[in-house]
Formats: sequence, structure tokens, C-alpha cells
Amino acid sequence: MKISERTAGYSLVLPGVFLICALLVYPVLYGVYLSFFSKHSFFPEQKFIGLTNYLYLLQDSDFWMSLWYGTVYSVSTIVLQVALGVAAALILSQTFRGRNFVRGIVLFPYIIPTVVAIILWKWLLNNQFGFINYVLFALGIVGEPVNWMGKDHIMSSLVLISVWEFFPFVVLSVLARLQTIPPVLYEAAKVDGAGQLRRFFHVTLPQLRNVLFVVILLRGIWMFTKFDTVWLLTQGGGAEKYIRTLPVYAYMRTFMYYQAGLGSALAVIMFGVLVAATAVYFNLFRRGDE
Amino acid sequence: MIAKKLGVFSAVGLVLVLLLAWAGPALAAEAKVVNVWHTETNAASRKAIDNIIKRFEAKHPGIKVKAEALAWGDLEGKIMASMAAGSPPELSHGQPITCAALQAKGVLLPLDEVVAAIGENNLWDQIKKVGKFGKHYYGLVHAAGTSLLIYRKDLAQKKGLKNPKTWNDLLKAAKALTMDTNGDGKIDIYGVTIPGDNLFINILMGELIAANGGKLFDEKNRPQFTKTQMIQALNFLKELTKYMPPGWEGHGYRETFANMYGGKAAMMFQGYGRGASLIEQYAPKGWASTDYYDVWIKPHGPSGAKPAAQVDEETWMLFKGSKHPKEAIEFLKFFYKDPEYLEYIQSVPIHFFPITKSLRKNPAYLNTPMVKRWKGWLDVQQYYLEKDLAKPTLIIEWSDMNNKPYLMEILGSGILKDMVMEVTKEGVPAEKAAAKAQKRAEELLKMKGYLK
Repeated sequence: MKISERTAGYSLVLPGVFLICALLVYPVLYGVYLSFFSKHSFFPEQKFIGLTNYLYLLQDSDFWMSLWYGTVYSVSTIVLQVALGVAAALILSQTFRGRNFVRGIVLFPYIIPTVVAIILWKWLLNNQFGFINYVLFALGIVGEPVNWMGKDHIMSSLVLISVWEFFPFVVLSVLARLQTIPPVLYEAAKVDGAGQLRRFFHVTLPQLRNVLFVVILLRGIWMFTKFDTVWLLTQGGGAEKYIRTLPVYAYMRTFMYYQAGLGSALAVIMFGVLVAATAVYFNLFRRGDE
Repeated sequence: MIAKKLGVFSAVGLVLVLLLAWAGPALAAEAKVVNVWHTETNAASRKAIDNIIKRFEAKHPGIKVKAEALAWGDLEGKIMASMAAGSPPELSHGQPITCAALQAKGVLLPLDEVVAAIGENNLWDQIKKVGKFGKHYYGLVHAAGTSLLIYRKDLAQKKGLKNPKTWNDLLKAAKALTMDTNGDGKIDIYGVTIPGDNLFINILMGELIAANGGKLFDEKNRPQFTKTQMIQALNFLKELTKYMPPGWEGHGYRETFANMYGGKAAMMFQGYGRGASLIEQYAPKGWASTDYYDVWIKPHGPSGAKPAAQVDEETWMLFKGSKHPKEAIEFLKFFYKDPEYLEYIQSVPIHFFPITKSLRKNPAYLNTPMVKRWKGWLDVQQYYLEKDLAKPTLIIEWSDMNNKPYLMEILGSGILKDMVMEVTKEGVPAEKAAAKAQKRAEELLKMKGYLK
């Protein structure tokens, strides 16, 4: 029996389509569907309430506060990750002794499990016996231990930990691109009398433009939806209220208030915010290109 | 010939594989597995549970008990998820308010047989009230440990302080115990320490409201956060935080103990008997005694007349839909037998107050070295239990156990914690923060259908 090329094609694509539908499309659509219900997270009670969850959230001060904290967290971590990541990649693209070893070490924060990283950082930042306070105190930088997990500093601590954990991704991406910039461009710039700074701004940075576009986009999405790092930081102590970002608030609504409908509505809003931000970002990039 | 032999071997092999495939599950099914989730993650309690299981399995060859220790924070979510997935464990610990909520949903099986085996009269009255709904026991406390006001006796004696009777007395004591010991202008010892995490702030607010003659919710489920009793409690806390170590809001339960045994704080308002073990392990040499760390009876508020404490007393719950509930009951009966239960209690002797009167009087228990060393701590716990001053988290009146199945959601929502943070850390007036919390709680209860 001869199978037509078209049938064979469909048969080959079908398992993939099925998997995408089952694992991606269905959960997303089900999430959207749930957001129109008042539903207990674990019991089968549910009632259709239309847009009530969305209308409630628009008037919910905790939602706006979470959106604000999430924005502060994602914007500050992205800026710092990119700045640190590009700087580190520039250093690692130079030739020096032990470069390969240092490259390996730089990747370390990205490959250790988040839970391990958080335990480590909570120990380092502890205001009773933490190493960081000890060093700051010994160097005379602070006169009293800093309360890294308290109201005033917990966001800074979270940003610090997140930048440490995720900047290697920027390093990796930028370093890969740096290695493909033709040396002739630098030579030509040198001939034209460009110093190191000008070479960076007029040769390196334009060459990194496309990779940075993708890196910022991906990191932006990942940081805005980051849950584990934020959540783990306040388990067993920590001023949680002051870093309650949108994913954490969505989790709380779903698994602590047991309001799956509201939790889903929050997830849908998060998705909407990301789509809007991505559209603006694409637009800005395109305009820059023109 | 060789081909023929190979054929025979293959056929025999195939038959064996088929037999194993058929008989394997049947053989495995012979041992009935009882899944047990508990919240005692410390090594000593896990070891005690393992030992009890070994002895139980030796006596009941057909039953296998699989115990899993879970952190408090993970338990409720895991229970709910397991029920949603249709595969709950046979037995699990759960906060009394969780037990109340699950019982109201009809997902628990009674434990009357276990209570009968222990002897109902052998239980403290307080314990009966925690797990009994109507005529049946749907929860049975594994051990009770009341919250304690731990203080540095040596420092208090130096300052001539006595057991504070009222919140005002406590504030005075906290002020007196906040000290710059070396004269460098910096505070070396803070008057009091409390944990800043959600669970403990909820526990604290429940206690303060009970000690101030108030309620968290009325009989129609309307939150009572804007009432005088709550405003007074918030203002008291605001004052008290002046004598707490900076950054207290970021301190977890363990860190507050570290404040105590590390000499950073002179009182611990949300202390527990578990602290005695930590003091013995970590306090400076020679300090691990009631001469240095003793307990006071908690004070009451201006609108209240008697103290209040919270009891850490997770209940055992038996789940409908689990595979081997009968075997689970057998395990629990075994668990509460004096020799077994004694070993469990002795794993954290000052925190695990026995639920049976017989064990409390048992010479083997009374001769436990730690029980002798920290007798005063246990006496105060017994005082709270006997005088009915100790209740589970967020329970103000015993009827709340039956009538307020939403307390678990209130706890999880962090509404009370946010209110406390606003008053103590953000300078929001108590009335304003309370009004905001009231609105949030009302919205939540309306959404859940408990409030009209």
C-alpha cells in the first residue's frame, strides 16, 4: 500500500501537534477558562462568574502592589544582569592565563539548583551570623549589622541574589557573539584612531545588538514570571510582604487562599502584560533599526 | 539440537516472565502500605517514628508503614493536592483548623476506635475539644506543646522583674531588659523577640485577641478587626517592637531562638518547649537551665482578664479514599501505647506534651532527664491546658473549630500579617491598617460564600 506524501507528512507532524496541544495549548486555555469561575483549588466546587475575577483584581490594592514589586524586580535585575553579563563577557573574551577555568567558574551560579543557592545566600545574609555582615563590619563599612531580610533591604537582597544567579546566561550569550566579531572591524577602528571606549560603543555594542535584543527579551519574560527564587527567599523568615511579586501573589491566591479562579485570572493578566511589553519592545527595536 | 534447546529455554523464560508479571503485583499487594505524613522533621523524632514503625511491622507482618516527614509549610498544599489527585495518604498530620476544614468537607474518617483504645478519659479535655466534631473524633493530637513566654531569669532577677500580669507590665519589662551592657551607646540585649513570618504572626494575633477578650470573627463570620480589642493589640505590638532586635520582621522561628540562646534577646514571646533542646545545644556553657531560661505565664490585654496561649498540636487525620484505613487505625493504636508513645514524646520531651494523662504520670516519663531539668516549662504548659487557656492557631472559642472552616484560608492569605507589618513597620495607624484588613477579610469570606 502506498501512502501519499501528504499523508506521510501529516502522520509525522501529528504526534508533535498532539503533544503541543496536550501540554501547552490545553493548559493555557484551561487557565483562561478557569479565570471566569469562582473555583476552589482542590475541591470540585465551581461557579461561573464571568469577568468578576478580573474586575476584582483591578480594584485590589495587593494586585497593584504585586505588579509594582514585580516590575521593580524584573527591571532592576535585567539592567544589572545585562551590565554585569556584558562586562564579564568582555573580560572573558580577552586572552589571559586560566581563562577557561574562570569561564567555568562564572557559569557556576547558573548551574546550581535554586534551592541550594537560596539556602547559601540566606546563610550569607543572615543578620545574626552572616558572613556578609561580618565582612562589612570588619571593614568598617557598617556599624550595625544590615537586616538583609527585613523590610528595607529584602528587595535589594532578592535583586542581588537573582543577578548573581542569572547573569551567567548573559555572559554565555554575549561571549558566544563576541567570538564571532571579525577582528578586522577593530583593526579598522584602531586605524581610524578609536580608543577602547569608542571601539566598544561603535564596534562591539552594535555587533551585540541582536544578541542583546534576544537576551533582554528572554530574561525579561523569565524574571517577570520568576517564582522559585522569590518564594524560597522568604520561607522560614523574611519580610515576604515586600517582595510579593505577581507570580507569588498568583500562587498565594491559588494555593493559600484556595481561589483557583483568581489565581488563573492573575496568570492571564501576567500573560497579557508580557505580551503587551513584548510588543512595545519589538516596536522599539524595529524603530531603532529604521 | 542447539536450536531446539534454545527454543525450550526461551519458552521457559517466557513463561517465567509471564508468571512474574502476573504474580508480582499480587505478591506486592500482600503487604498493605500505610502512608503516613508528619511534620516532625527533626532527626530524633524521625528516628523515634522509624523505631515505632519497625516494631509495628514486626507485630503486623502484612502491613508496611511508609512515613514521610514534611515541613509545616508544605503539608497543607500536599494534602490538598493528594486529595485532588484521588490518592491521599492514609494518615497525615494537619493543623487543627485544617482538620476542621477537611472534616467540614467530609473527606475524613473517624478515629473513634483509636480514642477508645487509648481511653477517652485518659485524654486531656483540651485534646478532646480539638479533634471531636459532633460525636466523632476526626482528629487526634499527636502531642501538645503550648506557646511559652520564655525569659532570661538571671537578667530579670537583676532588674527585680516579676511575672508581668498585663501587656503594660510586659512593655515595662521589655524596656527594662533592653540594655547597653558595655556602655558603647549601642544596644546589646533587646527586651523581646518574636518571629516575623506569617504562621507565627497569625498565632500571635490569635493569642493577643484571646488575651484581650476579643474575637477574630463573630457568629455571622464578620471579621472583628476594627474592634477595640484588635486596635489595642496592634498598638501594643507597635510599642513592643521598639524593644525587639532590628530586622525582627525578617526573623524566622529558628532565628528568634538564636536571639535567645545567643544572648541577643531577653524574652521570647512566641517560644515553645522545643527551645529547651536548642538552649541545651547552643547556649553558653552552664546556662542551659531554668536558672537562666525560665517561663512566665503570658500577660493579658487591657480589655481581657486572663492569659491566652496557642497550642502546637497537629492532629492525625485519616483520609477517606485512602487504600488501607483499617491498617492505619491499627498503626495509630500501636503508636499511642505507652512504651511507643513515650519514645516519641522523649524525642522532643519539653515540646511534646503527652496527650494522655497516664503518660504524664508515668515514672518513666517523669524520670526523663530533660523533663526533670525543665519541669517548670512543662508545669506552665499543663496550667494552660488545664485552665483551658490554650487553643489552636486562630481559635478563640472552641465553637470556632466547628463554625469557622475558613480559618485556614485566613491564615494562608497573610491578611493578619500584612496588617501587623503596616502598623509596626510602615507607621500606618492601627485603625487604618485594621480597616484595610477588615475589608480584605470580608471580601475573601464573601467570595468563599461564608459572609453575606
